[in-house]
Amino acid sequence: MKTTLHLISITLFSFCLTRCGNNKQEENTTPIEVTDTIHQQKDTVAIEEDDETTYKLPSALQIAYVSKKSGAPFNESILNKTENLTRYNTSNYKRAVNFGVYSSDLANCLFNKKYQESKRYLKALTETGATLGLKQAFESDKLAERFDKNISNEDTLVQIVSNVQLKTDNLFEQNKQKHITVIAFAGAWIESIYIANQAYAQQKNKKILSSICEQLTFTKTLIKALEATKLKELEMPELLVSISEINNAFYNIPSVKSATENDRELDFDKMKFTDTDIIPAMELVKTLRTKMIN
Amino acid sequence: MKTYINFTFALIVFLTTSSFQNGDILCDSKTLKEKAKSALGPYKYDSSELTRIIYKKTETVKEIEIPLFIGEKYRFIFNLEALPKNIEIQIYNKDKDSKNRKLLFSSKDGGLDRKELQWEVSKVRQVYINYIIPPTEDGSYSGCAVFMIGYK
Repeated sequence: MKTTLHLISITLFSFCLTRCGNNKQEENTTPIEVTDTIHQQKDTVAIEEDDETTYKLPSALQIAYVSKKSGAPFNESILNKTENLTRYNTSNYKRAVNFGVYSSDLANCLFNKKYQESKRYLKALTETGATLGLKQAFESDKLAERFDKNISNEDTLVQIVSNVQLKTDNLFEQNKQKHITVIAFAGAWIESIYIANQAYAQQKNKKILSSICEQLTFTKTLIKALEATKLKELEMPELLVSISEINNAFYNIPSVKSATENDRELDFDKMKFTDTDIIPAMELVKTLRTKMIN
Repeated sequence: MKTYINFTFALIVFLTTSSFQNGDILCDSKTLKEKAKSALGPYKYDSSELTRIIYKKTETVKEIEIPLFIGEKYRFIFNLEALPKNIEIQIYNKDKDSKNRKLLFSSKDGGLDRKELQWEVSKVRQVYINYIIPPTEDGSYSGCAVFMIGYK
């Protein structure tokens, strides 16, 4: 009887705790006026602005897909060697950034039909992923077996890797590791620009340059995403500085600067670039990439 | 031993009462995303997000900024099954602080009671999803919205 009473009081106490917590949250709302197009039609309403804007950055697969369409040739020697993997189990930042780098390398191999190389990079990604709590995403559904079975079918392999991507997205969400996805994106994005720039240096193909510029426009969202999470890992403020420098170098290219200042659409296929315009931004990309993989 | 059992029981009760308050819906992210993925059709999966929606006494706006490749075609899928009360989805070309932003999509047009929505877009470099969460008089409760992006 005594135990039953004890349990009832604990239950009531727990319930009270949760209800009280919510009331406090409601008291904190600050009514403000909103002036966007839709709300102008309404009378002034009390709206609470939620400052928690979130940022959704593209996957390494999509970046590689777009890069491949620009005609950039494949060059295995410039990818990050899978043997480097052992260097990265030193901090969360190092693991996450190289998870991104290897994701980009895997996607590059896939879209260039380099299936044996893809297998090697998938293995590197699996091992890096395991150190980030993503083991489940790579172990489920007999991933390695399915990959082997479809080794020469690009569409199926992309589908398999996309499924892994969805699972890793879910795990990052569950484990409340949003900042890790931002760091991983930075790694994948830097690797992709680095690879494209190596191709551009060889071929001077305008389409590859346009693709590099398209990728560089992501700096603005990446900076905001890093700003929002920069205190989560020790190395993040430094990464933010490096990305901001790349952003400044890119938006200081005369044709880009002029279009931005005059609020004109950035049409990289039509814009004029000199050969040297892109060099400062690309030097910064190269420096950051070297820092990431070493 | 008895103290340990009591503590465990209290913890379970606490977690349960926190999750099932008046009108709250538990979010099964995996199931919701699987449903969204089946609606992607020929588009390749790119990314997805589960957003916790908390209804309060005042209307709230949650914004998601998404950079896109201008040359690609995209399909956006929204799954709103796990929401206890309808919300409006608006998609803009600029963020909520910009005065001259353009509304590209509003879920109001097809009726706010739809549980799954699709929107396709191309030739856009940036979109901003706004979840417009209506006010509620019945106290604070929550649910969740899922969106997914596919590209081709």
